[in-house]
Amino acid sequence: MNDGNALLHLLQPLAPDFVPDWAVVLTVAIIGVSIVIAIVGLIALAGTWAERKVSAHIQCRYGPMYVGGWHGWAQALADGIKLISKEDMIPIGADRKLFMLAPSILLGAVFAALCAMPLAPAFYFGYIDLGVFMILAFSSLTTIGVVMAGWASNSKWSLYGAMREAAQVVAYEIPLGITLLAPLLVVGTFNLVEASNAQADYFGMGWLAFKNPFVLVSSVIFFIAVLAETKRAPFDLPEAESELVAGFLTEYSGIRWSLFFMEEYAAMFLMSAVTAFFFFGGFESPFSYLAMQSFGDGIVYQLVCFLTLVVKGSFGIFMMMWLRWTLPRLRIDQVMTMGYKYLTPLALICVLGAGIWEAIKHAVS
Amino acid sequence: MSEQTKDYKPSITIADQQAAANNGAREFMMDVRTTDLEVNMGPQHPATHGVMRILIRADGELVTGAQPHLGYLHRCAEKIGENVEWLQYLPYTDRYDYLAAMNNNLGYSLAVEALLGIEIPRRATMLRTICVELNRIASHLVAFGTYGLDLGAFTPFLYCFREREWLLMLFEKICGARLTYSYLRIGGVFNDAPPGWLEEVANFCDVFDEKWVEYRDLLMMNHIFIKRTADVGVITPEQALDFGLTGPMVRGSGIDWDLRRDMPYMIYDEIWKAGAFQVPLGSGAQGQLGDCWDRVYVRVQEMVESIKIVRWCLANIAEGPTIAELPKVLRVPPGEAYVGIENPRGELGHYLVSDGGKIAVRCRVRGPSFCNLPILEDIMPHTFLADSVAIIGSTDVVIGETDR
Amino acid sequence: MDFQGIYDRLRAIEAPGLQGCDLPRAGDPEDKKDQGRSGDAFVLVDPAHWVDFFKACKSDEKLAFEQVVDLSATDPAKDDENFWVNVQLLSLRHKHRLPVKAILPKSVSRIASLALVYRAAQWHERECAEMFGITFDGHPDPRNILLPDDWAGWPLRKDYEFPKEYHGISCE
Repeated sequence: MNDGNALLHLLQPLAPDFVPDWAVVLTVAIIGVSIVIAIVGLIALAGTWAERKVSAHIQCRYGPMYVGGWHGWAQALADGIKLISKEDMIPIGADRKLFMLAPSILLGAVFAALCAMPLAPAFYFGYIDLGVFMILAFSSLTTIGVVMAGWASNSKWSLYGAMREAAQVVAYEIPLGITLLAPLLVVGTFNLVEASNAQADYFGMGWLAFKNPFVLVSSVIFFIAVLAETKRAPFDLPEAESELVAGFLTEYSGIRWSLFFMEEYAAMFLMSAVTAFFFFGGFESPFSYLAMQSFGDGIVYQLVCFLTLVVKGSFGIFMMMWLRWTLPRLRIDQVMTMGYKYLTPLALICVLGAGIWEAIKHAVS
Repeated sequence: MSEQTKDYKPSITIADQQAAANNGAREFMMDVRTTDLEVNMGPQHPATHGVMRILIRADGELVTGAQPHLGYLHRCAEKIGENVEWLQYLPYTDRYDYLAAMNNNLGYSLAVEALLGIEIPRRATMLRTICVELNRIASHLVAFGTYGLDLGAFTPFLYCFREREWLLMLFEKICGARLTYSYLRIGGVFNDAPPGWLEEVANFCDVFDEKWVEYRDLLMMNHIFIKRTADVGVITPEQALDFGLTGPMVRGSGIDWDLRRDMPYMIYDEIWKAGAFQVPLGSGAQGQLGDCWDRVYVRVQEMVESIKIVRWCLANIAEGPTIAELPKVLRVPPGEAYVGIENPRGELGHYLVSDGGKIAVRCRVRGPSFCNLPILEDIMPHTFLADSVAIIGSTDVVIGETDR
Repeated sequence: MDFQGIYDRLRAIEAPGLQGCDLPRAGDPEDKKDQGRSGDAFVLVDPAHWVDFFKACKSDEKLAFEQVVDLSATDPAKDDENFWVNVQLLSLRHKHRLPVKAILPKSVSRIASLALVYRAAQWHERECAEMFGITFDGHPDPRNILLPDDWAGWPLRKDYEFPKEYHGISCE
């Protein structure tokens, strides 16, 4: 399946003969995009509900309990319907075009990055050799959306949020990229599927984080940088609720506001998934190993791999929520100090160490 | 940071700043002319603890001037005091510092009783002390919880309110209201505690002894919290005295002053002599003496001391009447009196002038938050915008008391 | 020190402006009209020496009044021709208080500002000025504090008439 489009291969045999090739490709592309949109929607729904339940239980209360029956599972759905029905307010003096464009850029960037993420070893939207590079590149575009939102709102508080976001993201892109080099040195490829396959040894527990101690340290640094990239506490200054009202989001209401939050949860899942792929096994786990042994390369294995990815992504999201509701917020100068003065040198040391470790390992074996 | 900011001059009024350097512009090394940003913090803002407006002049994230604007919650309490009878004024006292309403009732009642010159029954004084100290705990719980909220720690707020809910239930049992009580009346308290109430208070004390440790460990000793509050908003002892600060603001700077011990009213001299409570002071444990962390820690420790006072009162509770005999239409003998008590926020003073009639001639309220607020003009410049939230939270102002 | 001790010390250091003191006294049982005076004792000070008096209070070792706790004014009655300006002083070192009063004729309504002696007085004086119309000479920042900048009248005076409307909003 190494020629690019698993989905195309899956669906092409199903196409009737009279349909021209380009139509098939177009249809498959549309189906693929719809799947990604559905994924983002589902993540947003589940993420919102999970955030409310996790935060509630940490704070000794229950959270949603009524909407939909069991523990208020349909709360997010109900909120979404309510938000769609709200009046679309754009402040006077706001730059209308930029105001309306900002959440789209944000969401668009995350969509594009999600397209590069495979859902199962045989189910991906493109076999991208530069997979993680593409994901990082697209997720950096979200900064433009945030700064645009803050500027276009015509509010000084939004501007503060936007400026903080710009500074923070620039500071933490560096450790984000550099720490990723450590597992890349071990696995040798940017491709997410291949990186996951390389961690299939040791009964599905041959994760990169366990193969090299410097990769383990990098995983921690990577996670901190991910928190800063996705604007989650303790780095949620751009959206600092109690200081800046709602930071760059202040003037947004209704469906535009919910677009921002869809982006937030989608980005959280995306970056958790990237962490999973390059540090913690990706699709591989003892269960996938068992599935492979018992049922071979078929649909069961794909399903188990998909579930493993979902569980790992969800665990990453849970960790982010846990930290948000426990830790206070850092001040912007403290954020920058940590990014430039502590994480970047540490990241460089990790890469150096990982490289030396690998070299010694190869020399010895 | 302080090295870079030595050149910035704080402004008291925006007009001053404009009159001073080049219409607010400043030249940097690269010949870029920039102007300071004027931002309004409030009147509607999550972190100003009420409707207060602070006009902040900021150079990016660095605050160069701060000017509080008050009056959004001015409800003419002093003018009303000159138009209603002595007892009718009591519900108005609840509403200045609505988080510590028992204390406000107490301040007013003590001032009227000073003019009347009457003796308060011992059981009434005991009940008053218990209610006042429990209210102090409730007020500090709000101050502490919302302070964490301001800094982004959303969870301690809910934990504090879990305890506060219990306290409000206790208050509801004794006087029927959760926030504005009018329970401490002139001459004593309105009614006796219902049966079982004192046991419930004892129960609360036992539970709270374990809970406050949670607050200390979860928030006070959190490394990020310390980074945000230590060395921020330092008030020197000289500044504290010059600005007339009282309460945790002044104790946080290390000055050993508590009206309950130094100018005792009710039975506090007895409680102090029995060694039942201490007066916590700021000690610069995590940074400079007089920083935000010290003030917040003083409040946390004061909660523990209040529990000790409540326990002493429960152990020494007296039986007897709960209110002194007073005529239905109260005429206070002519004279004037000032009585100051230790409110959770500082010294709450009532200055009452009577001409012998049913209505006061002057009812002046010295609200501690009003007197604690001017310090912001001095300590907010040279800090970051994020620090201004930390500083405002640590002054623990309640705008009802600031504006009256 | 108790009030008598403080008053004796004030006389000993010849505090400028000291006019006398007023002690609480019981009423005359013979005379129904004389109910006496209850409450606090206070010291009367001449407004002409206002600042110097407080400087003396602050700097003297035995008095050591480091804080101004309250500064306010009183309009005793509609037909009374004087205001009272009341100051409450507090000494943390010696744990004593001193109420100080100045009788200020309404026709004058000017008194020196204590803002440069005690920083705490600054906001109290602003409130006093806007509520009574008393001008504090030398105040660094004489703006309204609780009332809007364009409020007409001085609310806490006994002869204050409430406005009928404010900026088109009816006040009935």
